[in-house]
Amino acid sequence: MTAPPQTAHAAAPVSGRIVVEGLTKDFGANIRAVDQLSFTVEPGSVTGFLGPNGAGKTTTLRMVLGLVSPTSGHSTVGGQPYKQLANPSRTVGAALEASSFHPARTARNHLRILCTVAGIPDNRADEVLDLVGLYDAARRKVRGYSMGMRQRLGLAQALLGDPAVLILDEPANGLDPEGIRWLRGLLRHLAGEGRTVLISSHQLNEVQEVADRVVILNKGRLVRQGSLEELTAGTDRVVVRSPGAEQLQSALVGQQAQVQRREEQLLEVRGLSAAQVGHVAFTEGIELHELHDERSGLEDLFFQLTSGVQT
Amino acid sequence: MIRLVRGEFLKLRTTQVWFWLLVGTIALSALLMVGGIAPSDGVRSADKVPDLLGSYVTAPGYIFVFVLGVLAVTTEYRYETITPTVLQTPSRWSIISAKLIAYSIVAVLFALVAILVELAVAVPWLSSKNVSVDLGNGEVQHALLGVFGVVVLFGIIGLGVGALLRNQIVAVVVGIVFLLVVQNIILIIPGVRNAWPYTPNGGLQAIMHTTGSTQVVDNVHLVATGAGVLVLLLWAVIPAIAGAAVTMNRDIT
Repeated sequence: MTAPPQTAHAAAPVSGRIVVEGLTKDFGANIRAVDQLSFTVEPGSVTGFLGPNGAGKTTTLRMVLGLVSPTSGHSTVGGQPYKQLANPSRTVGAALEASSFHPARTARNHLRILCTVAGIPDNRADEVLDLVGLYDAARRKVRGYSMGMRQRLGLAQALLGDPAVLILDEPANGLDPEGIRWLRGLLRHLAGEGRTVLISSHQLNEVQEVADRVVILNKGRLVRQGSLEELTAGTDRVVVRSPGAEQLQSALVGQQAQVQRREEQLLEVRGLSAAQVGHVAFTEGIELHELHDERSGLEDLFFQLTSGVQT
Repeated sequence: MIRLVRGEFLKLRTTQVWFWLLVGTIALSALLMVGGIAPSDGVRSADKVPDLLGSYVTAPGYIFVFVLGVLAVTTEYRYETITPTVLQTPSRWSIISAKLIAYSIVAVLFALVAILVELAVAVPWLSSKNVSVDLGNGEVQHALLGVFGVVVLFGIIGLGVGALLRNQIVAVVVGIVFLLVVQNIILIIPGVRNAWPYTPNGGLQAIMHTTGSTQVVDNVHLVATGAGVLVLLLWAVIPAIAGAAVTMNRDIT
């Protein structure tokens, strides 16, 4: 399990871009689960599909995979609608919720059925079970599997056809910290082979470490999409503590900085580096008790974006 | 399509339900022979043999293949294996066609097992009572072919009902209640009873009927044997088509 992840087929798979255009899904008359959603996912990268619970992530992924019919809009994988792919499991590997297994069937038999239908030799089932660390449990019934083991089996299922595109819904759910670390390594490795990896999550920290790009969704709508650097740019700030906070504040505002007073003696400064803030204090002769950078990172951004407040 | 059919066989083989339904089939056909021969007023002459052999489907032993057929689709919905199934094979027509082929073959095997068990119990036992089972006899052949055809068709009817209703408990309960209760109620309501010959049981009785009157109750007559086969075929195919065209195309969430 701790061994570096390896895939059986060395050749990098062909391009598989995911394009979502104007996808909309209504459940009943009043519930719009996904609203005019458009985004693209590029090959060779891990893209995080983020949003709070109920944002419409799963519905979107199920529309891309042809399981749910959109009310309007469309999506393609590698240039084709999913339903028109000739042998879908060899192009797109998907792991949705971790419960799509017959409890009385063994993990190996579950995968053998998929191998049979896809025309893949049975030993590929053993390979992927080994890859996800389930080799020893392969001949046990899924009924006795933990949540983490089911997640791994779902991942094995997704990898079975050696697909160019991986779509994983909340793959880290139920994994222990070690499992999450292993998963990150695997996803990075798969993206490094040129595959398209799209993972959804409602927890930012799961995605932050592994994703190159993120697509943020809230209430069915696209909030932001872009690389992590793009989205976090401009969110850095300097925190400074001083008994002369008021005097310092007016001095800093004079330097075109945005200043917020957090506490009696604590200021939050944007638009200047810590060194620049220190210099202003020095030249004004103001005593400082504390001066440091604060990286708000994606956490705040995610929270702000999904609660409707833009920074 | 061959890969899909092989996948269906593997799905069936890798769970245990087929085994218990086969045990039920074997047990019922053996018990029916015991019940038909052991009592003092049991079968003692060759003219009773066709009814004895036909008792498997009138008993009704077709319930086992019917349930097996229902489970073919409903188990996938119950355990959500329909998700990987549809991800691999987006066409519901392909899925249902593969299941139709696979479950027809399985139903043939169940029918053969039922017939072989009947013969294995009845032939030596009856011959010890000086009743010979003549497999060359037309009525005996009719009974055995009838059992075969009815069992196979009810397996497919089950598949269609499962595809149409999708919910396992609903499909099993509705199916069994309809076959064992509702059909009999249809037969006792004046007016409505005229539809009875076109129910699955009406078709079954028409297939098994050999000699004597075709009147079931007042003015209600069995259809001809061939028409009985057609009745069961329609009951088999229409729900399967409706399932593939409508209910199985609904969103899988």
